[in-house]
Amino acid sequence: MSKVLIIGSGISGLACAITCASRGINVILVSPFPSERSQSVLAAGGINAVLTGEDGDSIEQHIKDTLKGGCDIAGEKAVRGMCSAAPDIVRWLESLGTVFSRDSGGRISRRAFGGQTYPRTNYAGTATGKQIVTALVMEARRLEGKGLIERRYWTDFYGALIRDKVCYGAMLYSEATRTVEAVTADSVVIATGGQNALFGKTTGSTQCDGYAAGKLFSQGVDLKNLEFIQYHPTAIETDRKKMLISEAARGEGGRLFYEDNGSRVYFMEELYGAKGNLMPRDIVSKCIYETGKQVYLDVSFLGKDKILARIPEVYELCMKYRNIDITRDPVPVVPSVHFFMGGIAVGLDHRTNIKNLYAVGECASMYHGANRLGGNSLLAAIYSGRVAAGSIRDEKTDSPDWSREVSDENGRLEMKRRSESRFPVMYVRGMLADAVNASLGIVRNARELENGIKDIDYYLGIADKINFDRSELEYFTYSLEGILILAKAVLKSASERKESRGAHLRNDYPERSDAYNASTIISYDGGNYTARFVKEDEYEG
Amino acid sequence: MKVKILRQQHPHAEPYWQVFEYEGGKDASVAAVLDSLNYRDDIIDADGNPTDRISWECSCLQGMCGGCAMVINGVPRLACDTFLKDLKGDLLTIEPLRKFPVICDLVVDRGIIQENLKKMDAFIGEYHQDSEKNHELEYQIGRCLKCGLCLEVCPNYVKGEEFFGPLFANDSYFVASRSKGDKTKIKKEYEQHFAKGCSKSLACMRVCPVHISTLASMAGMNRGIRD
Repeated sequence: MSKVLIIGSGISGLACAITCASRGINVILVSPFPSERSQSVLAAGGINAVLTGEDGDSIEQHIKDTLKGGCDIAGEKAVRGMCSAAPDIVRWLESLGTVFSRDSGGRISRRAFGGQTYPRTNYAGTATGKQIVTALVMEARRLEGKGLIERRYWTDFYGALIRDKVCYGAMLYSEATRTVEAVTADSVVIATGGQNALFGKTTGSTQCDGYAAGKLFSQGVDLKNLEFIQYHPTAIETDRKKMLISEAARGEGGRLFYEDNGSRVYFMEELYGAKGNLMPRDIVSKCIYETGKQVYLDVSFLGKDKILARIPEVYELCMKYRNIDITRDPVPVVPSVHFFMGGIAVGLDHRTNIKNLYAVGECASMYHGANRLGGNSLLAAIYSGRVAAGSIRDEKTDSPDWSREVSDENGRLEMKRRSESRFPVMYVRGMLADAVNASLGIVRNARELENGIKDIDYYLGIADKINFDRSELEYFTYSLEGILILAKAVLKSASERKESRGAHLRNDYPERSDAYNASTIISYDGGNYTARFVKEDEYEG
Repeated sequence: MKVKILRQQHPHAEPYWQVFEYEGGKDASVAAVLDSLNYRDDIIDADGNPTDRISWECSCLQGMCGGCAMVINGVPRLACDTFLKDLKGDLLTIEPLRKFPVICDLVVDRGIIQENLKKMDAFIGEYHQDSEKNHELEYQIGRCLKCGLCLEVCPNYVKGEEFFGPLFANDSYFVASRSKGDKTKIKKEYEQHFAKGCSKSLACMRVCPVHISTLASMAGMNRGIRD
């Protein structure tokens, strides 16, 4: 029986672990904290699937909408696979006890989301991700009881064990023992989520920082489409973070407006008609940006009963963190970094360019092209986890000895630890966020991107000289270099794509260009970052 | 305002109190206060002595993950969900959850929650969508953060060795309600690890950040037990 090491225990990691274990494969599921702390619990609005098609909707239409929303660079084979599997996935989640909302006929409730021809977002209030996590954790626990899944907490990813383009496991860091150890496995699955830490305040979890993608990149793993960073159109500003106002608020009828001389301008409806508020996120964010004004979201006309029944968490959030009663008043919203279409490059089977190394969920790039449709992320997280689990071959791999590498890395940590410096590494993360926000806004240009690269190069130049702050978790300190490397790869990718498409908008190249009707693959070799453009269908294999 | 924090350098170190000065506004959450203290050029206590940064756990920062559970002015709460303007007095007191082993400062090891749920071996064997009247309670239980606040406040919960606490009662109800077939095992576990040890103080319901009605779960399980 083979062994798979899964790094990350959000929805994609859980789905992969459950599917592997159900095949009889032994799983080690690693995360610093329990799944309840994962970013997956923040996913609010729902999961896309055509369950009945009785209103004229079809899987073909789901595929078309997804490809169109992704601005025609997502691979059709991959999207077809995901959309076709979606109904089974929702039924599987239901069978595990996910508490979906129900309509009057007892069927799973669905709502309209942006970019959809028909409403197909199946939901559990506005806590769909949380309800799915609860169900998956319970199922994983059943398999833990059978000895098929072993969970390890307080454990961080340090690096992969890669030799001659084959992965043999990972180096893991324990905050309890403050040491690195090699954990060998026949396959490794990365399920570490997006790259929020690059930007500082986002709608996501502080735990999702992109370190694993950056570290793997430096170890020879290709990354893809990094420049496509989704700005969700509706977040509220708080002192600690930008908090998401779920697209469900607009799905239920919410309207966007700004004020001009005392009257409301419903600009999305003026631009795109009745469905204007539910255009894909890239378009809504761009339009908000172009107003140059404070934009508001109004749901008050829906009435208190409907608001409390359909979007209760949105009501609670606005009341608690901004003291705004959305049953009476509009809420000021701003676009916020929310989702990363780019990430680790994988093929249809979710394997990377390194043998036995897979990536799933938001840290992998697949399905969403240049812009993700709302409701497709939970679907992609589960689908990708199941696809990877189904692709992993149940066969043993003999691993070389890694004791020297482990000893070297523990030596490096020890050397840093002896430092008397108190310089907080979190300051560098803060400066990184400033640089990235300045250069990777909703609209970019060559000058800003070049400035960003210069800043990151400077931080990379000093990263190795920055001494550990002993009173921080060591993870924050050793992860800095990988995060900086990832940031540079994102900026390089954005520089290379000299067009505007989806979530990548440039005011120096404002038009879409057929020359870039492809995915960006970026590789790292000895400090050199090399980008190339590859047709998605070609890359998928 | 003064911020008094119970600190502990590592699991085996002696805890000690340290006082800090916070100069920000009253609209801040306790999470924002901790960040404000940590990310000054130099972290110093109220007497001007340099000290280590304060360790605490967080992930979502909006009351949806349960990471930042701690004891604030004597009450178990989430730091991101508790605002200075809602607290009385000019002294803010912060302690780690006291019923879990401290790892460092305000970071505790809540692994016993997962361990006990694993011991109970509860899962949805064959799904059964029970009558819609249970939906609201099941939805609320599905939002349980496993943060440990209910265990911290519970007068009957000690270390989770025999009495597993309110979150266990809620998960028991969730499984029993949503599963078809024989529920003997889950009822027995519920009886042994919750019902016989609960003195019904219902303090758990006052501190639950997602407002789960443990009383309703208990009523549901008791009805089931009589069946």
